[in-house]
Amino acid sequence: MSGKKVVEIRNMTKDYGAKGFRTRVLKGIDLTIYEGDFIAIMGPSGSGKTTLLNILSSIDRPSQGFVTLDGKNISNISNQELSQIRRDKIGFVFQDYNLLDTMTLQDNIALPLSLNGVSGKICLEKVQKLAETFGLTRHLDKYPYQLSGGQKQRGAVCRALITGPEILFADEPTGALDSKAGKDLLECFRTVNETGQAAILMVTHDAFCASYAGDVYFLNDGKMRCRISRGNDRKEFYDRIMEVQASMGGASENGGEGA
Amino acid sequence: MTIRGLALHNFRKSFRNYFSMILSLAFTVMILFDFVNLIYSETFQALGERNKEYIDIIIRVISFVLVCFLFFFVWYASNVFLTRRKKEIGIFIFMGLTNKKIGRLYALETIFTGAAALLFGLCSGVVTTWLFQMILLRLSEISIEISFRFALQPVLITALLYTAVYAVFVWKGYRNLVKSSVLEMISAARQHEYMAEGGLFLLIKAALGICILANGYVLAIRETGGNVMGNLFLATVLVIVGTYLLFGGFLPLLFGRLSRCKQFLYRKERTLWVNNIVFRMRKNYRTYAMTCVLLTCSVTAIAAAFAEKGQYDNIVNFRNHYTYQIISDRPDLEEELTDVIEQDNEIAYHGCLAFFGMDGSHFSGGYKRGILAFSDVKKLAEDTGLAFPYENLADDELIDLDYIKLMSFLPGEKEKTVEIDGKAFHQIDSTTTPYLGYLQESHDYYIVSDKTYDELLETCGQGEAFEQQTYTYQYKIADGGNFEAGREKLNGLTYNAEDSYVGLVAVNPESEEIGWIKVEYSLCVFVFLVFVLASGSILFMKIYNDAFEEKERYGVLKKIGISTKSLGRSVAGELFASYAMPFLLMALSSWFSVHALENLMSKNLKMVNLVSVLIIFVIFAGFYLLSVLLYRKNAGIE
Repeated sequence: MSGKKVVEIRNMTKDYGAKGFRTRVLKGIDLTIYEGDFIAIMGPSGSGKTTLLNILSSIDRPSQGFVTLDGKNISNISNQELSQIRRDKIGFVFQDYNLLDTMTLQDNIALPLSLNGVSGKICLEKVQKLAETFGLTRHLDKYPYQLSGGQKQRGAVCRALITGPEILFADEPTGALDSKAGKDLLECFRTVNETGQAAILMVTHDAFCASYAGDVYFLNDGKMRCRISRGNDRKEFYDRIMEVQASMGGASENGGEGA
Repeated sequence: MTIRGLALHNFRKSFRNYFSMILSLAFTVMILFDFVNLIYSETFQALGERNKEYIDIIIRVISFVLVCFLFFFVWYASNVFLTRRKKEIGIFIFMGLTNKKIGRLYALETIFTGAAALLFGLCSGVVTTWLFQMILLRLSEISIEISFRFALQPVLITALLYTAVYAVFVWKGYRNLVKSSVLEMISAARQHEYMAEGGLFLLIKAALGICILANGYVLAIRETGGNVMGNLFLATVLVIVGTYLLFGGFLPLLFGRLSRCKQFLYRKERTLWVNNIVFRMRKNYRTYAMTCVLLTCSVTAIAAAFAEKGQYDNIVNFRNHYTYQIISDRPDLEEELTDVIEQDNEIAYHGCLAFFGMDGSHFSGGYKRGILAFSDVKKLAEDTGLAFPYENLADDELIDLDYIKLMSFLPGEKEKTVEIDGKAFHQIDSTTTPYLGYLQESHDYYIVSDKTYDELLETCGQGEAFEQQTYTYQYKIADGGNFEAGREKLNGLTYNAEDSYVGLVAVNPESEEIGWIKVEYSLCVFVFLVFVLASGSILFMKIYNDAFEEKERYGVLKKIGISTKSLGRSVAGELFASYAMPFLLMALSSWFSVHALENLMSKNLKMVNLVSVLIIFVIFAGFYLLSVLLYRKNAGIE
């Protein structure tokens, strides 16, 4: 990999529970995400995917090791600084969209910029531009309850991108969508990534979804088991993901290590 | 676990959720107890000795108002509570509980809540009742020794009244749950939040609201002669309806428009709180309207109380300007009367005056009146230290001599044309200066020029006793406490013979004839504070509960990186608007209602209006700060 490091984690562990009853969820994870990366993290339920995403995205803190974002160690900075980083450098897309039902799609998208004190005029321009890219111009005045799941999720992507983040974190972004809407969203991700708008880190258990990424990391039992990279053919990449997933599932069932 | 055990467990575990309801209900119980206890206290018996029937009526009226208030307050609180609980305990339906059992669960939880509120309320009532009575007497300017005595009867009556009202709504909630479908229970907390009305409907509501409110305002302050009460009643109805329409139509429309004006909206946290207000308006507008109406009533009530207290002071001063007034057909009594009074009392001032009466046939209005000569009144004013701002009076001019009324539904005219025996006179003024003191309350009088007086006396002053010239001798003694001694002696001088008479009017300076007004005034102050605190509690309770519903939303905002500082500012903005909207409309409405009272009672009440609005501002500021603090906690922002 080349280019600027966006996120880097080194020897990171995460424990939960009270002293004496601790469970180690992540065990010495190393990961570097560069500008322009599109990474998918896969793994069975309970493998630590969401915990890893939460730590990477600064929602949670590691027990050991460190996380740097844009060269800054975010493991031990104040909550206010964390909020600032989340607002300026990170975009989030959640499985259940998490659009605010109190406001229109346009206001939802503009919210992070508006809260940053950006003028109304610039907010509007940016919203219009993003809505055009994601095919949402006609829906800007609608409330979330008036939108389809796909439209909501694309709206959530627009909201995540409006501040021009360096990296977009997506937690099972297609989990609540039908296959058509899921595919549309993944195409959007690809556009975002290819046009250099942001690096993407996506947590998913869906091989089809992961096949849109450039690299897929497999997490199991709190450890990064392997990484596979995509060639030119997405279909072939999908098959390889399925193979690894099958072997990982077996390994997991047998309690073995590696794929 | 039994249903009772589950209900107790729920109650203990979710005490924080019940907190606002318990607090608000306990406050209501405390007020009711303070009141009921007053009726059974020694203080009330002491008050009752003075003006028993009036004070009794006032206390009964206020108690009725308080019970009505309790009824509506419990209704409102239990509705808010039911909506919240419906969703939470609705989950039990998936565990195989029948609607009936869920209803029982709710009823038991509500009974625990009600019992806790009753207990807290009674305890705080017992603690505060002494303070309440002390404040009441202080406000009434009545000095009675207050002794603290615990009586069981007020406790029982309060508990009975509260339980009766509360039971109605526990039963109502139970029936509601028994009849609810699963879907209704699960989605209860999210129902009716979105403003579904179309723009046109809102526009019609807004236009109607503004028109009706404006009409109410105009009607309240318009001088319409005789039908004052009818107009005021109609104005009250219009203002209440207009307020509801304004909150249900105009404000959603206004905030809706603001939310569409993106240049305005996209200013930091404004995006969040303006949208939140638009979103919640449909659910909350009735609360805002109710608060606004309650507050306006409170300010009007306190202004009425102050006006009556002011009038009371004026009436007392008016009546006490003279201690003794002797009326006779004899012009030669001054020396004798002065000697008699001076035997027991020092005379502060005194004066004499002659007048004669004219029966109603001489006037267009048909009421008999006394006629006074300009120079006589001027001299009397000089002797007795009263203002007399008139230089002279033309022969076709007169001055109306009126008295101070507690309340007047007929606005008096200062200047008008009066006909006496077909001749037109120009009334240049109407005054309530007590030139004739208490006598002024029995008849109306005109002051005319000396020449006119002589002319009228010649033509009219020869008939019955009232129409003949009467001499009045007015005395004010220096020490009102020694009133009885003089009165007894003067009484001995009175007689009523066929050809002559001497009569006495004695006004005891320490008389409490209309002392009930002071009690009414202090109770009004108390009711004002109760209603203002209740209005604040209603808003507080609503906001407290809303915070739990917003928890998820604020969780999302935190996840996407919105700082707690930003969220705090957004909450502050939203809650500020929630408190400011009813407050501002109340300030406007109260200006008109107090203005109407000013017309009714011929009193300047602007300062009372301003101070009461300021008091509400301070109380609301307290509620607002507390709401912001708890909202941030309950919505998971901190």
